[in-house]
Parts: sequence; C-alpha cells; structure tokens
Amino acid sequence: MAKKVGVYLCGGCGIGEALNLARLEKVAQREAKAALVKTHPFLCSPEGVQLIRDDLAAGAIDGVVIAACSPRMKTEAFQFDPRQVLERVNLREHVVWSHPPKDEDTQALAEDYVRMGVVKAQKAEPLEPLAEEIARAVLVVGGGLTGLTAALEAAEAGYEVVLVEKEAQLGGFLAGVRERFPAAPPYLEPAPDGLQAKIQTVRYHPKIRVFTSARIVRTEGQPGAFQVTIEKDGQSVPVRVGAIVMATGWKPYDPARLAHLGYGAGPDVVTNVELERMAAAGPIRRPSDGRAPSSVVFIQCAGSRDPDHLPYCSSVCCLVTLKQARYLRRENPEAAVYVIYKDMRTPGQYERFYRAAQDDPLNFFTKGEVKSVARQADGRMAVRVRDTLLGGEIEIPADLVVLAAGMVPNAADGEAIRALEDAEIKRVKGETEAQRAEAARKAEQLRSHKGTEILHLSYRQGPDLPTLRYGFPDSHFVCFPYETRRTAIYAAGAMRAPMDGAHAEQDAQGAALKAIQAIEMAVRGQAVHPRAGDLSYPSFFLQRCTQCKRCTEECPFGALDEDEKGTPKPNLYRCRRCGICLGACPERIISFQNYSVDMIASMIKAIEVPGEEEEKPRVLALMCENDAYPALDIAGLNRLHYDASVRVIPLRCLGSLNIVWIADALSRGMDGVLLIGCKWGENYQCHFIRGSELADRRMENVKETLQRLRLERERIQVAELALDESWRLPALINEFVEKIRRMGPNPYKGF
Amino acid sequence: MAEALLVQPDTAFIRRVVAAGGGDLKKCMQCGTCSAVCELAPEDAPFPRKQMLEAQWGLKERVLADPALWLCHYCGDCTARCPRGARPGDVMGALRREAVRHFAAPRWMGAAVASPRAVVWLFLLPVLIFAAIAGWAPKGPATAEMEFANLFPIPLLEALFFGVSGLVLVLFGWSLSRYLRALRAAGYRAAVLPGLAPALREILAHTRFARCGQHRDQRLGHLLTLWGFLGLGVVGTAVGIGTMTGLMRTPLAMGSPFKILANLAAAAILAGVLLLLAVRLRDPARRAAGTYFDWFFLLILAGVVATGIAAQILRLIQTPAMYAVYFVHLVLIFALFLYAPYSKFAHLVYRTVALAASGAGRGG
Repeated sequence: MAKKVGVYLCGGCGIGEALNLARLEKVAQREAKAALVKTHPFLCSPEGVQLIRDDLAAGAIDGVVIAACSPRMKTEAFQFDPRQVLERVNLREHVVWSHPPKDEDTQALAEDYVRMGVVKAQKAEPLEPLAEEIARAVLVVGGGLTGLTAALEAAEAGYEVVLVEKEAQLGGFLAGVRERFPAAPPYLEPAPDGLQAKIQTVRYHPKIRVFTSARIVRTEGQPGAFQVTIEKDGQSVPVRVGAIVMATGWKPYDPARLAHLGYGAGPDVVTNVELERMAAAGPIRRPSDGRAPSSVVFIQCAGSRDPDHLPYCSSVCCLVTLKQARYLRRENPEAAVYVIYKDMRTPGQYERFYRAAQDDPLNFFTKGEVKSVARQADGRMAVRVRDTLLGGEIEIPADLVVLAAGMVPNAADGEAIRALEDAEIKRVKGETEAQRAEAARKAEQLRSHKGTEILHLSYRQGPDLPTLRYGFPDSHFVCFPYETRRTAIYAAGAMRAPMDGAHAEQDAQGAALKAIQAIEMAVRGQAVHPRAGDLSYPSFFLQRCTQCKRCTEECPFGALDEDEKGTPKPNLYRCRRCGICLGACPERIISFQNYSVDMIASMIKAIEVPGEEEEKPRVLALMCENDAYPALDIAGLNRLHYDASVRVIPLRCLGSLNIVWIADALSRGMDGVLLIGCKWGENYQCHFIRGSELADRRMENVKETLQRLRLERERIQVAELALDESWRLPALINEFVEKIRRMGPNPYKGF
Repeated sequence: MAEALLVQPDTAFIRRVVAAGGGDLKKCMQCGTCSAVCELAPEDAPFPRKQMLEAQWGLKERVLADPALWLCHYCGDCTARCPRGARPGDVMGALRREAVRHFAAPRWMGAAVASPRAVVWLFLLPVLIFAAIAGWAPKGPATAEMEFANLFPIPLLEALFFGVSGLVLVLFGWSLSRYLRALRAAGYRAAVLPGLAPALREILAHTRFARCGQHRDQRLGHLLTLWGFLGLGVVGTAVGIGTMTGLMRTPLAMGSPFKILANLAAAAILAGVLLLLAVRLRDPARRAAGTYFDWFFLLILAGVVATGIAAQILRLIQTPAMYAVYFVHLVLIFALFLYAPYSKFAHLVYRTVALAASGAGRGG
C-alpha cells in the first residue's frame, strides 16, 4: 500500500481559473491525508514532470496522484516506474470543461474527485510484473495457404514455428484446384495456384518444424508457455510454444442437405468442389455419360444465405463459379453457361473478373430462385427458376448442374463440447427424473459436437475455442482482429470467416503478428489487447473461497481452471485483466494491485454526501472505461455541460461491477446509481465480450438489495453507450438526476 | 401462372446484335438504372433493362416482338448514365436493326439490304433501269430550254415510281403482317386500328421525343426530316397524278405553290439530316456504334435531297451536267423507295404499329 501519497494539482487548461486550487490543496492535505500537495500551472511540462520525479527520487512519496486532465491524456509525460503507484484525477474533461467555472457545485465535484483519487492511491499496491519463462515459438495448426503463410511470416520474423497438418501433404484445399481466380492485375483470367513454391520454402525453412499426417492430442498451459502434445505415426511429440495460430481452413457444406436443389437427383448434379476436383483431374465431363457438357447451370448460394442452412455468405462461391465457367468455356467454345444468383458478389478488383466473364457471349447471368431441379426422360436435367430478371419463370435444360455451396469452418465449438460433457454426466447423475430427461435432451442436441475438438485444450471451459456466430471462432473482427476468446490463440483464414486465398494470406500475416505480439507481451508480463501493456493481474485469497465456480464460469477468456473441488486455478497469462471475476465473486476475494472491491468501495465512501436539508442529490456513475468513460471525455472536450451531482468511477469493464458497491453507495445516502456499459447482444461492442451482459444479469441480484433497503428500483439505471455517442451523455445524466430529484432524497442520508 | 419459358439461346443472334452496334451488350449487370432514367419507358413495362437481358440471353423471338424497341428514340439518356458502360441505347438500336431484318419479307431482300456486299447489286438495278429509260424510251420533242423530260420522259418515270411505291406497300404489308403475328404471339393484343390515330398524332408532334434529355438536337433533326418527307410526299403524289393526267407539266414555275412547298420540304430534310449526322458524329461512341445499316439509309436520304437540289440549280443555270446529277437523283430515290421495308426507313412503319399496338401513343 502506498503510504506517502503526493498530490499534484495542475492549474493549466483552464483548471486554475475555474477552481479554487487552494481549497483543493487543503482537501487533499487535511481530509485525504496526502503526504505532500503541490500545484503547478503546467504540470505536463518538463518542469512539472521533473517536480514529481524529484519527489519520487527523494523518497518523499511512494505514490502519485495527478489531478489534471483525463487519464487517457498525457500518458507519456506522466510515466513513472510502474512499481510506484500512479493515480489520475480527471479535473479537466470531467470537471472544468463540463461544468460552470467558479461554481460551488463544480468545486465540490473537484474536491470529491481529489478525495477519491487519493484514497484509491493509498489503497493501491505497486505493480510487480509476472516473470515466467516464455517460449518464443508459434504453433500453426493447418498447412494450407493460411497456415503456410503464417508459419513463414513468424519464422521470417525470427520465431521458431511448429506447423501441424493432418494430411500427408501441405497445401490444403488450394493444392487440389486446377487454377485460382485472379489475385493480381488485370484480374481478368484465372491464374495457376503458385502454392508449390511456398510449400517448398516452408519445408526447408530452418526455423519451421513441419509435422504432416499429425494431430494435436493435448494443449495445456497458458500464453507464453503452452505445452502441446503432437501425435505423429503413433508417437507423441511434446512441444512448448508461446502462441498459437489456428489455420484449419474450411470444409464444404454437406451436399446431402441440398436435395431441394437436385443434389442426389442424378449423377449430373455436382457441387462446386466436386467440379473443381473433376477439373483438376482433366477435362470436365458429365458424370453420367462421360460427354463434354454443352449446357451447364450454376446455382449460386446453394444452401448459403439461407436461414435453414448457412445463413451467411461464403464470399468466394461467385468467384469460383466465374472461374469454373471459364474452364467450361475454354474447353468447349459452344458450351452455354448459366448462372442463377441471389446477388453476384465480387468485391473490389474481382469485379473486373466478373466483367470479363460477362463479356463472354455464352455466359448467361440472372438473379432468380431455383424452384426445382429434375431429371428429364432424355437424361438431361431441367432447372426451373422463378422470380428471374426475365420477368417470369424459366426452364433451362442442362447437361450438368453445379451447386455453388458454401464454406463451413473447420473449427470446434469448445463450449458446446463442454456443455455436452456436462449434460452426459448429468444424464446419469442428475438428481431428479426431470433433470436427467432435460440433460438427455440437451446431450442429444449437442451430439454433433462430440469428438470435434482440434486443440484438445485443457481449459475448464471446454477443449477448444468458443465460437461467436455460425460456428466461427472469431471475436469482434472490426475491433479485435484475429482475436479469439482464448488469449494468444488467434484465428486466421477461412476458419475465422469465409474468405478467398488473397484475404487468407493477409489474415495469416495479421494473425502471425498478433501471435508474436502476444509472446512479447508475455515476456514483459503485460496483458494483451484490449488492456495492452497492463502489468496488474488478479490475486485470489483462496482461504475464503467457497467454490461457487462463478469466476471460473464467467471468465470470458477461460483463464481460470478448477481443481476437483471447484477452487479456481488461475492461469495469469491467459488473463486479460477485465476484472469480471472480481465482479462475480460473492466473497470478494479477487483483487488486482490497483483495482479491487475495497478500493472502489473506499472511493465511494470518500464521496461527501450532502445532508437531506441541502437538497443536493449525489449520484454515483460507474462507467465502462473502454467506451463510456472516454465518451464522457469527448463530451468534455466538446464543452457539453451536465449536472454536477454525478461522481464518476471508471470500471475496467462493467462486468467487473461488484454489487456490493451499489449497496455501499445507497447505504451511504447517495441518491442514485447510474451504470453505463457497452452495447451487448447480437452486435456487441463489449471489449470483454460478455461484460456488460453479465452486469445486466447482476442487476437481478441488486433488486433484492433494493427490496431489503426498501428503496425504489428506479434509483438504479443501466445504460448502453457506444464510444461515438458522447452527445447522448449530458441528456442521459441530466434526465437521470432529474428523475432522482423528483423521487426525493435517499432516506438513508446521514446514517 | 404463365408457363415457364424454355431457355434456348439463339447464339447467332447474340453475336449479330453485338456485331450490329450492341458491342457492349454483355456488360449489363441488370441494375436497372437505364429503365429508371428513361423518360419514355412506361411505368408498367419499363425498358430497356429487360430488353438488355433478353438480348444477352439470346431470346430472339421475345425481344424482337417487343414494342418497347420502337418506343425508344435513341436519345442516349440510358447510355449516358449506365454505370457499366453497356450503352443500352446502342443495343436498342441494334435490336431495331435485327427486328427490321427479322420481319423482312421476302427474307432475302432483308438480308441483301443488310449486307454491305450486296450494295453493288442493289444500285445496279436502278442504274440499269434509268440508263435504259435514258437510252431507249421514246421521248417527246426537245424543248428550247434543257429539261429533264428531254432525257427521262416524265409520265414513264411517274408510272415507274407509282409502280415501285405500290410494290413497296405490298412488301411493307407482308413484313408488317409478320410483325403483327409476332406481336400477337408475344401477348400484345391491343387492336392496332383504333390506336393508329393517336400514334400518328404522336409521331407528327414528336411529343414523347421531347422528353429525352441527351441529344436534344436529335428531336429537331428528326422532326424536320419527317415533316420535309411528308411535304415531298404530298408534292410528289400531287405532281405525279397531275402530270400523268396531263393537268400539270414539269418543270413547275419557281413561284408555283407546289414548287415552293417542295423546296421548303427539301431544305427541311437537308437541315434535319445534317443535324442528325452532326449528333452522330459528335459522339465518338455513337459514331462507332453506327453501322452500315444506319449509314445506308441516312446517306441515301441525304443524297436524294442533295442531288434534287443540285439538279434543280443546274437546270436553272442550264448546264448539261444537270442530266447526270438527275440520273443519280433518280437512282437514289428508287433505292430509297424500293428498299424502304428493309432499311432504317422501315422504322417509320414499325414504330407507328408498335405505338398503336402497345397503346403508348394513347398518353401512355
């Protein structure tokens, strides 16, 4: 704990004009018991910073509170030895820029923030980084284009690479195609695959160990120190790696489910993958009679963008069809090729390829819905299409029908596998008949996940990556590219999202860089995204653990394993430092050096609550520091004013909200609590995936607290806010405070 | 629901349309911008988006029987706004050419007029006819002043041209009956006769044409040409009947109302054709899209008027060269008339029928 906290007040950026700094000094010194208080007119100047450095060096203080701008600003100027406690008090954005100057309420707000900052610094522990031995090696799972590229990128950057491929050959799907669609200007003609050179480079690279015909039987440990057991030729080979790139690719959608599009109606209905294999082996022939087809119908989105099959677009099928049409037209100049599409999707430069295909006089394109595919008496297929651009139903006689089917990720759903295991156990050991029946039903539902694991993770939350949507293990790609919900395991290529070769190569580069980043962060004992660089980590006071398993279940990143009794076994390198475990724990035994239940509770207690007679409400706002808190900074930057009754405390994630804080605030006489987190649900924006959702769920328990205290439910409000919605904040805050005013003061004031 | 259309693309047709000025046909991606911007497209049957696709797909019978082909005035609004450079306006033009050729009766005439290789034979016929008339036809006593009748007996010429006109009407009727059958088969069942009056009113006023945005000069050129043509038609018929019945004698006096009307009409056509040629030459892409088919008609028309005016001037100044020019004039008129059902000239008839059959002339 920091015993001697120095408070440094900055008078710049209008703070000195708007506030009575002398009174603030007194508050810091007399009330908050700071060891030292100094005011500087320009604290982030070299002289100002030197002032702090000198005091630290002299040993006058062991903790620093900087009362100046937002903690998001001037981070480079205010950077000291991480072993010394540093706390920032936001007097600029949250006080003087967003409230009237030289005002009693504004001054009170600033004083409260100083009290809160000092008490937090006093409670904080210095940071001692984790320091375990880190393996500077990357495991790449899958030897297709993505895996080969990721392996080469990592190896060329100087890292040892272990590449595991289940087939006997490297190259993956693309090694088996006749040609690839164009990936370079002028994007008009298909190009040879160009994969062989890459395979050779990988094969003979001194830093890459290639295991073909191999599989992973166990992955234990944590980032920087994964213990992976590879099985090859019946032998187990242990390897130690720091990070993992998943490049397991894709598999075609099961054509047996495409009977409605004629699959199985005769040998002349094939999938695009089957046609590609045929094309790679030689000239394309009708399977039924071995003749060159003269009329070929391609049915696009075969099972794709269809809620009953694959709801998504696989992004390559249109291009594959254009390429295969080119094969057919080259082989037989009189062959007619029909393409029935929902939409032709040829993004970017691929549009040129589409145009080139369109120019061919015997390629026919129309939007339409396939009504039926049937075999006629003469052995040809008849494809009936409705809702065409021709304005009615059409029938096309075809020698060959090609179903452009989509991609399914070669990925396992770790959480589903775990749920299946749980259900199987419960089916036998369930307490009541109803429980056993329910478990049996659930097990049946999840049956298809059995034995699908690839990584065989030893994680408590399941033996493989959790999936986000449609079975892809992606995280939120726009905000967190390549991230999965397992730290230092990155997804790339078609297993992350449907994509073509060119994008898969980019993906592989990105994921390889993320893997390297994860290793280097681990070496320094720092957290990775989104709290990149954070040196703090949670500690568990296990003597008081009741084995309720809430933390091990709620951790979005599977950082906590369990022993047989259910006591958490932390894997700190897996941790992203969101603090969700801290919010989950009913015993409050989880804390970070600079973030704990007690610290936040002490900050709440440091807020001065005016008596009932003063008619000045006090509202506590607990805000997600990823979106809501910076949004409030932006509101200040834009000089948007809001009610000065609100005291903001940033939380690492709203999921780290421990409901005891709410009880503390209300029993201290605060009149309301406003919780602002990220958007959650389908298009979530939570940096820790489930944090704001969990916070919302915790509100259920808060209701009980309120009932016990006999307080109105409306005194607590949860709101979702995106980073770009700072304009919403003043109204959100003012309306809440107004509501509280109408409700009247909290009856617990003064107790 | 209607029976499904069995798709059997006429690949030769696709290639012909591409060759006949629709070179960018296949670039169409069916966005429909063309139909949206077209001022002439009726709301319940917009064009040319659908016609583009039908042409791409080689659905010859369907697209050629579509009256929409003739509702288009080739203003180029669609071409100017096509995001893909598919030039729908030029494709519609190419389809009209194909339609004229497709419905032509007898077919070999259609093929001959459409083929540059047949041009020598097409002109050889009138050249021989008029050479024969000049050489062997019995002539009246020579007049003091040089007159065309001295070489080309007028009653004979008039009889010849009335005969040719009659033949052309028959051939037009024959071609039109094919077109009408195709229209009916394609489901356009509106009665033609009641639609004719509004269609003609529309054609005379060019009101629909006025809605076109691009190439506004084109409407004026077309209007001048049409009215000039009608004027010459009236004069020609009247003078023809007059001379054959002996009520009139050519050359008419310069001050005669018929002469004045004829000269005004000729000037209108000349101005109109020059405007149309200018529009065509100003737009490089349109110049490229122009085909033998278009030039055949436009140049003959321009030639007829130019040689007519030149012959008149040469006659007035009394030089023997007037006979040579008049000879060319006669050859061109003959070609214009006889080949009308197979050349661009035919659009006058097809458009009238299409307007009537589709009801587009009736305020549609």
